[in-house]
Amino acid sequence: MTLRRVTIVCCAVTLISTACRSEPDAKRAALTAEAFARAEWSQVLDQARGSTVSFAMWAGDGARNSFFQGTVARAVATELGVTLRMIPVVEPADVVNKLLNEQRAGRVDQGTIDLVWINGENFRTARQAGVLWGPFAERLPNIRYYDPSDRRADFGTPTEGYEAPWEYAQFVFAYDAARMAAPPSRLPDLKAWIQAHPGRFTYPAIPDFTGSAFIRHVLLHASGAPRAAFDAGFDEALYARASAAAIDWLREVRPSLWRQGETYPATPADLNRLFVNGEIDFSMDYNPAFASDRIARGEFPATVRTMVLDEGTLTNYSFLAIPFNAANRAGAVAVTNYLLSPAHAFSRMREMGGVFPLMLEPLSPAERQTLASLAAGPATLPLEVLTQHRIREADVQYLLRFERDWRREILER
Amino acid sequence: MHRSRVSRLATIAGLTGLGCLAVGPLGLLVVNSVGRHWYWPALLPQEWSLRAWRYVASPEAGLIDALATSLMIALVVATLSVMVALPAGRALALHHVRYRRALVFVLLLPVLAPPLAATMGLHAVFLRLGLADSLAGVLLVHLVPAVPYATLMLAGSFANFDPLWESQARTLGAGSWSMWTRVTLPAVMPGIAVAAAFAFMISWSQYLLTLLIGGGRVITLPLFLVGFVRSGDEAVGAAVSLLFIAPTIVLFTVVARLLRET
Repeated sequence: MTLRRVTIVCCAVTLISTACRSEPDAKRAALTAEAFARAEWSQVLDQARGSTVSFAMWAGDGARNSFFQGTVARAVATELGVTLRMIPVVEPADVVNKLLNEQRAGRVDQGTIDLVWINGENFRTARQAGVLWGPFAERLPNIRYYDPSDRRADFGTPTEGYEAPWEYAQFVFAYDAARMAAPPSRLPDLKAWIQAHPGRFTYPAIPDFTGSAFIRHVLLHASGAPRAAFDAGFDEALYARASAAAIDWLREVRPSLWRQGETYPATPADLNRLFVNGEIDFSMDYNPAFASDRIARGEFPATVRTMVLDEGTLTNYSFLAIPFNAANRAGAVAVTNYLLSPAHAFSRMREMGGVFPLMLEPLSPAERQTLASLAAGPATLPLEVLTQHRIREADVQYLLRFERDWRREILER
Repeated sequence: MHRSRVSRLATIAGLTGLGCLAVGPLGLLVVNSVGRHWYWPALLPQEWSLRAWRYVASPEAGLIDALATSLMIALVVATLSVMVALPAGRALALHHVRYRRALVFVLLLPVLAPPLAATMGLHAVFLRLGLADSLAGVLLVHLVPAVPYATLMLAGSFANFDPLWESQARTLGAGSWSMWTRVTLPAVMPGIAVAAAFAFMISWSQYLLTLLIGGGRVITLPLFLVGFVRSGDEAVGAAVSLLFIAPTIVLFTVVARLLRET
């Protein structure tokens, strides 16, 4: 009796929820990787017109959200006839977990996410599990604005066309020019500076993304091994040499860190609070425009500037990928191509500042002129300086191993 | 006389301290949401700005829509939880239930299991049942952590309830409806209020369950909140936090008043 009632309720709920779900759009789901490889670009655009693209992205910045839900959504609507819907997520890992579950449950089409902003480890997990659709990236007309060597690998994982490069990031340090005229710009000088100014430097604790990037600079530079050596996949002997030197470097500066290195800020937000309150003299971030953004928001004094290391600072691209079960692949491909365009990069700089992510060579003279007229922000380094000091991320194995060793050798000692 | 003044002073000091603990962080959020250039040693921000609030209120941000969706879901979940928990709590407290403790343990399992594992399992089940990616699914899945709490709370309420009161009402000629509305319900009202408030709060703060089961079709406030708080935009983070806290403060004021009245 009760069991029957439960069954009836369950059936009713299932029926209602199935009824509520929007009807599948057979035409759009039909775009397979093979069909896309053969299709004319204009056919893809025709298929995309009138559809909605659900874009799962990190949404923790007001200016950014306004830009995407305003300017970008309007541009995509006029140029492609596509409605852009943002799905706010905290971590791409949440999306990857959703896809893994859907794959296990056999939900191979009509997925709710058409496009996801992703990189590094999450891409590797998604790719290994086969929950991304593709290859598609090399077929995008605007892919030509990205250097092939930048788009070939993502933290050492071959992209193989399963994600398209998008935003450019480069690690920078921030300092207040009103307090410090000439900051140390080489790693050995930074060490000497820290030791001469006890308590004035720190970095976010691992597993924070920014803190992890900081110690990777030490890993890459401290041993003096040529940078190119790190490009050829994970090398155990090289890692042993580099990590020994890096651990020494970090151990030697630790007593001179903020609070004698007994504790570390947990997040970049904590680090920046120490920085603006004058407790420490350096902040750092993987966004080269972060100091300008913060000056604009009134969170940093206008005298803050950024710098890179003479040895170079890490750069990476974040990417756009399409889930294996995306309902609107044609729309996702069309939107991705727009997001790779110079027009998008310009409107982004106009509204949010930041760094131009595309190669300069393919730009037309008019586009170059536009670029020259756009200001990067008062604290952002000129593009030439950034590009002259860029070093690529090594294989993700280096990152994982060194984070573990940092915990064991630095945090727990 | 002297002693009473000392104790009064102590009471005042204690209350002030407690007040600061409760209001301090909230006040900090308010100042953060409208302040610019707030660094040591300045006591207060050097500039004031409504930028964060203008953003929060703008339709493009989608935060007001998310707030409305969150409220609707939490209210429905609170109502449904109480509807399930009333008979369940009553049965647990008043009826002779075999293996009662084992049953309570099973009831609590969804809350005891590691959240990530439980969430992943629930998502898999909902996918099989065809309930994923829908509002109905989100409402149902929020019940999973909410119902155990509500049931245990109402079981606590019913533990102090004497079923003979109902028999008395019957003897005096009450029908089952008036017995229910005039005897049973008033007696467990505080329990209902607290259970509903807890169920509301549990639904209100779900992030991963909503993202997975809602599949991005159901967008609630926590989906935005965590990102804002972790990122650097402090003013917007503070404003969104206040938006997130405000309904719960209203709710608990109402519940506290209800409890005082009964």
